[in-house]
Amino acid sequence: MRATVAILMIVAVPVLAGTAPQARADVTADCEFLEISAKAGDKPSIDGELAPVEKKLKKPPFSTWNQFKLLSHSHKSLAKKKTEPVSLKVGSATVTLVEIVDKSKVRLTITMDDDKGKQVANNTTTVEGGDYMIYVHQLANNDGHMLSLTCK
Amino acid sequence: MSKPSNASSDLELMEHADGETGGQTGDSGVAARIERDSDARAKVAAIQEVGELVRGHLELSADAVHDAKFAAMWRRIDDQLGAPATGLWSRVTGWFDRYRGHVITGAVSAGAVAALALILRPSTPDPGTLGRNGGVIDVRPVALRATPEIDSLDTPGGSSTVINLDDEDGHTTVIWVTPADTVEGI
Repeated sequence: MRATVAILMIVAVPVLAGTAPQARADVTADCEFLEISAKAGDKPSIDGELAPVEKKLKKPPFSTWNQFKLLSHSHKSLAKKKTEPVSLKVGSATVTLVEIVDKSKVRLTITMDDDKGKQVANNTTTVEGGDYMIYVHQLANNDGHMLSLTCK
Repeated sequence: MSKPSNASSDLELMEHADGETGGQTGDSGVAARIERDSDARAKVAAIQEVGELVRGHLELSADAVHDAKFAAMWRRIDDQLGAPATGLWSRVTGWFDRYRGHVITGAVSAGAVAALALILRPSTPDPGTLGRNGGVIDVRPVALRATPEIDSLDTPGGSSTVINLDDEDGHTTVIWVTPADTVEGI
């Protein structure tokens, strides 16, 4: 019985001791992505799921269009310096959390490719938690393909 | 008649215990009474003990105010060192820094800060308090947020325009990419 307890102690102590540092090393930023298609039409419409950015979409420069449709919605927990793919309906994108700055900002590198695999943008920006970044790719037919992101 | 006499002598004992009768002629009489009366000695000892307790409490309170000053010093040192200032401690100090105008000044708040400092200040560096789903970003009030900074931007095959929009929800950085073929077509 004593031997069993001793073995359990030997196994359990390093496991328990290792739990806290590991959790701390895995600190992440939570980012939300909205892929949006934008068009100009007779009847204005904005998908209900776009409520977080609806006010912005009604103002210039987005008011170029009046029909906004959510193409995809994804959520990523980003680990530092780990590139994550963002699944899009049109084209593809990746996001990398470069670092957390002053505990309230994220430095992110975002790449965005069009549906032909051609790179649209490769950008690194430092942005405050809760603020938004919106990438707008103006298409040849004057429609828009947009990717909105915000991190917390 | 003995009662007033006792009350009077107790008062003299209190004054003696507090050292308030020094140099007065009656003090030698009180001292002599304490010498011969064990009851009077016990009373003086009790008065002195209570006095020590009160003085000790007041000294501790004074120390607490002192700790508040140290807490402020720690905050300044932490800020100057630029150490990773995440975690519960930095959140609390950050809250004080941000809402300085709302913090009540005076001894009461100083005491509260000292108490928080003693209770919350970690003994080891705090790597951060994990937020929702493990996130560590401290979302600041809109008014305190810095303008986004574009570190690099490459838009191969097109031209880009960067727009910063501000509203009640904060900043929105818009990176508008117009493909080269679209530009040529205009």
